[in-house]
Order: sequence, then structure tokens, then C-alpha cells
Amino acid sequence: MGTARLPAEIRPVLDNGVPAVMVTCSADGVPNTTVLSQVYYVDETHAALSFQFFSKTIRNVRENPRAYVCVADLAGHANWVLQLEFQRSETEGPIFDAMDMQIEAIASATGMSGIFKLRAADIYHVLSVEKLPHSQWLAS
Amino acid sequence: MSDSIQRDPPATEPGRDAGESTGTPAWIGAHAEELARKTVELARKTTEFEVLQRVSSDINSTLDLEEIYDIALRTMDDLFEFHHANILLVEPGGETLAVVASRGYESQAMGGRARIGTGVIGVVAQKRTMLHVSNLGQKRAYAAAQRRQMMKSGRGAELGDAVPVPGLANAESQIAIPLLIRDELIGVFSIESPVRRTFSEHDRGLVSIVANQIASAIHNARLYEERTRAAEALQAANASLETRVAERTAALERELRVAEALLSDARSRVEGPLLGESPAARAVRDAIARAAAEAGPLLLVGPPGAGKEAVAHAVHGASRRGGGFIFVSCPELHAQPRHAGAETIPAVRPERLVLAAKLELASGGTLFLDAVDQLPLEFRYALQELLEDYETRSSDQSPAPNVRVIASTTRDPRRDVESGRPDPLFRLLSRNRIAVPALADRRQDIPVLVDHFVRRQARHLGKVVDGVSAESMRRLEAYAWPGNIRELRTVLERAILVSRATVLEIDEELLDEGIAVGSYRLVARLGSGGMGEVWLGKHRLLARPAAVKLIRHDVERGPAHEDLVRRFQREAQVTSGLRSPHTVQLYDFGVNDTGSFYYVMELLEGFDLQHIVTRFGPQPWERVIMLLRQACRSLAEAHAHGLVHRDIKPANLFVTQLGSEYDYLKVLDFGIVKDQPGQEATMLSARDILQGTPAFMAPERVLGESVVDGRSDLYSLTCTAYWALTGQVVFHASTPAQMLLHHVQTPPTPPSRVAELPISGDLETILMMCLEKDPAKRSASALELDAQLASVPCLEPWTQQKAQAWWEAHAPEVAAHNHRGSARS
Repeated sequence: MGTARLPAEIRPVLDNGVPAVMVTCSADGVPNTTVLSQVYYVDETHAALSFQFFSKTIRNVRENPRAYVCVADLAGHANWVLQLEFQRSETEGPIFDAMDMQIEAIASATGMSGIFKLRAADIYHVLSVEKLPHSQWLAS
Repeated sequence: MSDSIQRDPPATEPGRDAGESTGTPAWIGAHAEELARKTVELARKTTEFEVLQRVSSDINSTLDLEEIYDIALRTMDDLFEFHHANILLVEPGGETLAVVASRGYESQAMGGRARIGTGVIGVVAQKRTMLHVSNLGQKRAYAAAQRRQMMKSGRGAELGDAVPVPGLANAESQIAIPLLIRDELIGVFSIESPVRRTFSEHDRGLVSIVANQIASAIHNARLYEERTRAAEALQAANASLETRVAERTAALERELRVAEALLSDARSRVEGPLLGESPAARAVRDAIARAAAEAGPLLLVGPPGAGKEAVAHAVHGASRRGGGFIFVSCPELHAQPRHAGAETIPAVRPERLVLAAKLELASGGTLFLDAVDQLPLEFRYALQELLEDYETRSSDQSPAPNVRVIASTTRDPRRDVESGRPDPLFRLLSRNRIAVPALADRRQDIPVLVDHFVRRQARHLGKVVDGVSAESMRRLEAYAWPGNIRELRTVLERAILVSRATVLEIDEELLDEGIAVGSYRLVARLGSGGMGEVWLGKHRLLARPAAVKLIRHDVERGPAHEDLVRRFQREAQVTSGLRSPHTVQLYDFGVNDTGSFYYVMELLEGFDLQHIVTRFGPQPWERVIMLLRQACRSLAEAHAHGLVHRDIKPANLFVTQLGSEYDYLKVLDFGIVKDQPGQEATMLSARDILQGTPAFMAPERVLGESVVDGRSDLYSLTCTAYWALTGQVVFHASTPAQMLLHHVQTPPTPPSRVAELPISGDLETILMMCLEKDPAKRSASALELDAQLASVPCLEPWTQQKAQAWWEAHAPEVAAHNHRGSARS
């Protein structure tokens, strides 16, 4: 699978930051689903996912770099499905800082500073982008 | 954006032929759609531009913070229609932000706080980066779910407490922008919405622009406020400083006035008689200034009491001579007997030696010859020679003594010239001459002179006197003043002495004959001491001269004063009963209007023993025996009446010429008010110590023994004899207390060991016996001591002839001494 471009209309969806669903699969084919607090628009071909708690997910990604992320566009009554491939983890830099601020703003006000925190910004290459109506998403 | 609107349409729609027509071509529809979108965008940008222009204009037109907050909130509302916004500023300490302005919140209280690092606002403040958070509700819910999960898994202890933050509880979108000035955080602008909002890059840029303007405006306004406050504080400080400076200036002016008054007072001690603005006074002052620049002899001519000595002092002061001002009373000058050294220079007359010694003493300063017209004849020649000698030395440029000679006279030398008999001495002296006017010739100066003398005398006596009444002043201005300024001063001194009012009244009587005390009138003050003043008095009817002693005391009127009066009267009565010719005679006594005691005694002319020894040195022992025996006879009678003198000392043994008898001794101050309450302290005043009271005090009196009899007077009399024989006191001490201790503890040194003159061994034995600490070992009585002194073998007794020769030799000095106010009673 080659490279796909993130369309401009997906940016507000990502910014609104509705917790997204991430699906990974281990080397032996066992899938895992988890919820992401943030999918960050890096550029047209890259997105960053917040790495916070999910040790199984990260283990899966280390074994199998492919992942699916489904982001709900509540206003557009649609869901976006992104097929991604893990490239690297960043623990500093502008991408990490921007994502960290979002998380820290919530964590600090809810008594979860130091717990609900960004461990790394995982940078993924966008392999495909698909917009599905809600009904189709639910059917799939 | 306008370039997009004006862009030309494509020549053909892709995938279609140029000539194909299906009504409205699809490309036209797309183009119209694009055009409409861009039109909307242009309108939005125009609005944004207008808003930005307005905010820029508005926010820069004021320095009022409240107005700036209002403009900022309104602008954000216009741009983003958030309707909920907060402006928070960093608080002192830098750990929190406080809401200073807000809009759209129903229950948002001003003053809400956000901790830096907590919540959206706190994190923005910490990171100093804009943050837009959307879908806040779900994010909070997600965090809450994680929190519950942790609690379920037993990690609840790791969790902290939720922290309330200012803003909407149900906000879905929030954007917070740091307000920065040169990278320094001053606050955060936060806008919120209860619905999800997106912020494009364009929006973020717009928010940044507005935030920067807000930050600059707030910063400028705060600077302005700080400067205004600083200016106000400075103004207040200036006002306070001005007040303090004014107060300090006033205090300094007061101090200056006091200093000027003191300076004026110091000057007026010398210049007092020179005060005044009359032509005569001005002429004298001008003459003083001219004379100060000269170096030759100066003659002051004027009537008695006109202030010639003051003029001499003024010339001396103005000439800024470093040496002293040496006063010589010409009538008192007499030649010392030739001594061994002088005999080797027979050509030098003693008068010249005396004058040369005076000139030497005045070296670098001024020699003032008072009453030079009364200079004894032999001195006149000597002075003339000396002045001529100096004149010669000056003319041939030989070194001459640096002495300014000033002489005073009441005789106008011009009359000698007019009479054809010019005096050579006056010719030398009067090359420079100042005429000192009579007070009658400068009558307009009387008020200022009165003011000066009243203030000075009132201060001297510790009285409060504001001045003289108008009627009295009129009287003083009209009076003839034959005694000139000296008489004026005396009149005022007498008036102040007896006055109990703050405004002096000078009656006619005072100006004529003096103030009345009992049957006597006070004529002139002869002297003053620790216990009071002695005045020359005259009996109103008998015109008999007398000495009136006014005794000072500090006892207020009341029972204690009445008791004191009774005791004074009792002692005075006892004293007046004494008949010994060697006891000074008491004429009268009483209490005057001011409550002071006075007693009137016979007026004597001569010297007390203190003066004789001080002036003429230790006396021959034969003369001392003769004087002691007279004192013994006086004391014997007093002791027989139970009266102890208690203050026998050289100053209280007065030697006089009585009729044809010379060296006639009178004991003064007999027993009167010596032991009044608190008087002991007065007796030990500095003045009395100098006069020697502690030096003549018997041990039993020092120890305060209750019974003190006449033998304590004998001890004091012996101490007095010691002084007369040796010129020294029995014991030397630096303090009165040490002196008193010596009397109690220290054996005396025999007088022959310290005396320059020979002393009879028998006399010394008697004296050493009477200096015993134990009264029982002394002579038993004054009569016994008299007999013991009479038995001392004497080959060359002090005869009346010797005494007469002595008195005749010193007659001029006696006259001058008593004239200058040293006569005693």
C-alpha cells in the first residue's frame, strides 16, 4: 500500500479531538482495540497518535507497524478511517509539546498530573484515508 | 483575496468541448460557487480588518485599564462570537493569575484565580504558547474514566485533587492566548464556548495579533499607572519633604535667633554701653573702627561711668590682637620694694620695672591704663619714658614691644594745652583720641541701653523681667544721669533686685537716692557672693554710710520660711548684743519686701586677710600673732554667749585702720543664718570652695558631730593663721571632699616646713596643738589661746609704728580697693 493524503476537511475533526478508536494486531494475528485521546495532524501524509497507557498496543505496533484509527466526525455524521504505519516515537519537539499541552491542560485540572500524561508522540505514515457514513461504520 | 475574484475563467471546462452547451455550463456554476465563497471570505476579512483597525485605534487611545479590558473583550466577541471571555493577569509572586475582566459569564466572579501550570489557562501561562482545546467535555470524561479506572485498580493514592479553574463548567471549546511583553508573561486571554468550535490557522493568527495589541496596551497602561502612582508618591514625598524642610528651616531659624541673641549678648558684654543709634554712639563706633587700624597709643576721654573701658575692649577686639587685654587701675599702681635683683641695676627705677612688667604681660595685646590722670607722679615719668622709648624704637625700626597702649581719663588734655601747660605724657597719649560722650549727650540711646541691662541683670539673677513700664522709661529718659551709664546700670540692677513684677517700675526715689532697705537706702553694689550681695547703704536720717548685706535663700514663703525668719532674728539679736570692738558692729537687720534677709553693718575700709596674703604675700609671724589675738578676743565673747562663728577664714577677718589705730582686726559674718536648712550646700558652692571654706573646716564639723563648740572656731582660726604665715592652706586637695577628708584623717605639715619666712618655734607649737583632730587636745578656749599667743617670745614685735608704715605705704590701694567695691562689713 502506498501513501495517502489527509484531506483538509479532516483537520477540524482531528482538532475537535473526539477520542478515537485504534486497532492494532500482534504478530500472531491477535487484534487489540483501544481509545486514543488525541490524533494530531502533522502534515498531509503524517499523523501523530498519543502514547499514554496502552502497553499492549505499543507492543503490537512494535511487532506489526500497521494500525487502523477511526475518528468520529460528529458534526458531519461520518467516521474517518485511517490506515497508518508506525514510523517513530518522539518525546520532545514541537509535535510532542503541542500534544502534551492538550493532555496536561486536562490532567492538571482533574488531579491527574503525572499520571494522565503523554509518554510519546508516535508518528505514523498515512497509508489510506476513508470517510464512511455513520451507518456504514456501524455496519462494518 | 481580490486576485482570486478577478481571476479569469478557464477557457474550457476539463473534459468538455468548448462549444458544448447544456444551458448553464458546469464550469460557470463552479466558478460562481468559487466566486461566492471568495466574496464571503473577502467580506469576513474586511470585517476582520475593520475590527483590527478599530481595536488598534481604540486600544491605543486610552491608558485606562478598565477601558482596555472592555475593548479587548468586545473585540474578541466581534471576531469570534464566543461571548465568554476572561482576562487574567499574573499576580505578584508569579504563581497565580487573577481574573481582572470578564464577559458573558452569569456567575463568574471577578477575582477568580488560576494556578500557573493547572488547567488550560495555567498551562498556557506556563508554556507561553497559545492553546486551543476542543471537545472538552469528552476529554474531561475520558480523564475521569481513567481516574475511575485507577481507583478501581487500587492506584487512587497516586491521584491528586481536582482543581477548579475559572471559566464555563460546560465549555466544549476553549482557546487561551498568553499576553506577552518581550517574552515576559503578563497574563492570559481566554475565550470559551459551550459548543465545539474549530480554530483555523488564520483564526489563530488573528487571535495572536489582537492578543499582542491587548498585551501592549495593558503593559502601557500599567506603566502609566505605576508612573502616575510614583509621581503621586513623589509629589506626596515632596510635599512631606517640603513640610519637613519648612519645619527644619523654622527650627534652624529659631536656633539662629538664639545664637544671634547669644552672640549679641556676648558682644554686648563689651559693647553694651556702645549700643544705640544716636549720632554720638555712631561716632564712637566709627572712631573705634578707625582706632583699631592704628597701632599707636590711644586716649579715651569722657566723664566717669560713660563706658571708656567698654570702648577700650571694643578697640582691642576690633584690632584682632592675639594677646590679652590687661587692665591697670592707675590709682592703685605702686612700686614694689626693691629686691636683690633690682639692686644690681640701680639705674632702673622700680616704677619703670613695674610698667615694663605690665607691658610685657600685655605683649601682643592691649594694655589699658584706667584713670591715667590719677597715675602717681613717679609713674607718670616712667610711663612717659617708656612711651618715648618705644616711639624712638619705632622710628629707627628697632624691635619694639607689640603692645597697644590705651589710656582713659576724665580730664580733657585740650584744656591743658589751652591753659598753656601741656602735659608731656598726655601729649604722647592723645595723638589718637576718642571722646566718649556722657549719657546725657546720647539720651536717645537710653531705651536700648535699658533693654540691654534689664535683660542681662534679669538673666544673672534668674528673674523674668519683660522690661520697664512706659512711665518709668519716660522718667529714665528725662533723668540727668550724672553717673552716666554706670549709674543707669546700677539703678536698673537695684530695681530688678527688689522687684517682684515682670514689668519694672522705676520711681523717682530710686533715681534720687536709691532704694530703701529698712532705714537705709542702697547706693551702690560693693560686691556679691554665694550667699548674697553687699551694697553701700546710707541711713536715711543719719546719713551714716553702712554695708547692707542682702542674703539669698531658696526657702519659699510658708511655715519653713517663718521658722527661718525667727531663727535669723534670734541670731541677729545675739550678734547685735556682742560688744567686742573686734566684732563687726551690727546696726540693723530685717526682711525686705522680696523676702530676703538683710542686715546692716558698719562700713569698713581696708583689706580682708585673704586679700592681704594674696596681694602682698605671707605675713611676718609677729604681725600674725597680733591679728590672731584680736580675733581671739572677738571669739571669746561670742563663745561666752554660746555663739559659734562656724566660718572663720581669711576672708572673714577684716584688717582696717580705725581712728589712729592701724591693723585693727574685725571678725565678719558672725553666726548669722549659717545653719539654716539647706545652707550647707550653698556654703560648698564653687565660689565658696575657692574662698577656702572647706580648707578651714574643723574635723568635728566635717563629721557632723551634734555638739560643736568654740574649739572648732579655734581650729579654723589656726588654719587661717597657717594661710597668713605660709600663703598656703594646711591641706592641698583637688576636690572639696578630699579636702574635708584630710581634715579628718591627715596630720598637718608644720608651717615652718612650707613657709618662706621664718616662724617662731613656740608659735608653731601652739598652732600644731590647735590643729589636733580631737578638740580636747586644742586650746580650751579663745581666751586661753590668746594668752598662749601672748606668751610667745617676740624680739621684734609688730608695733603700731610698723603697722602705720604699712598702711601709709598702701593707702592709695586701700582707697582704690574700697572705691572699686571691695569694702566689707
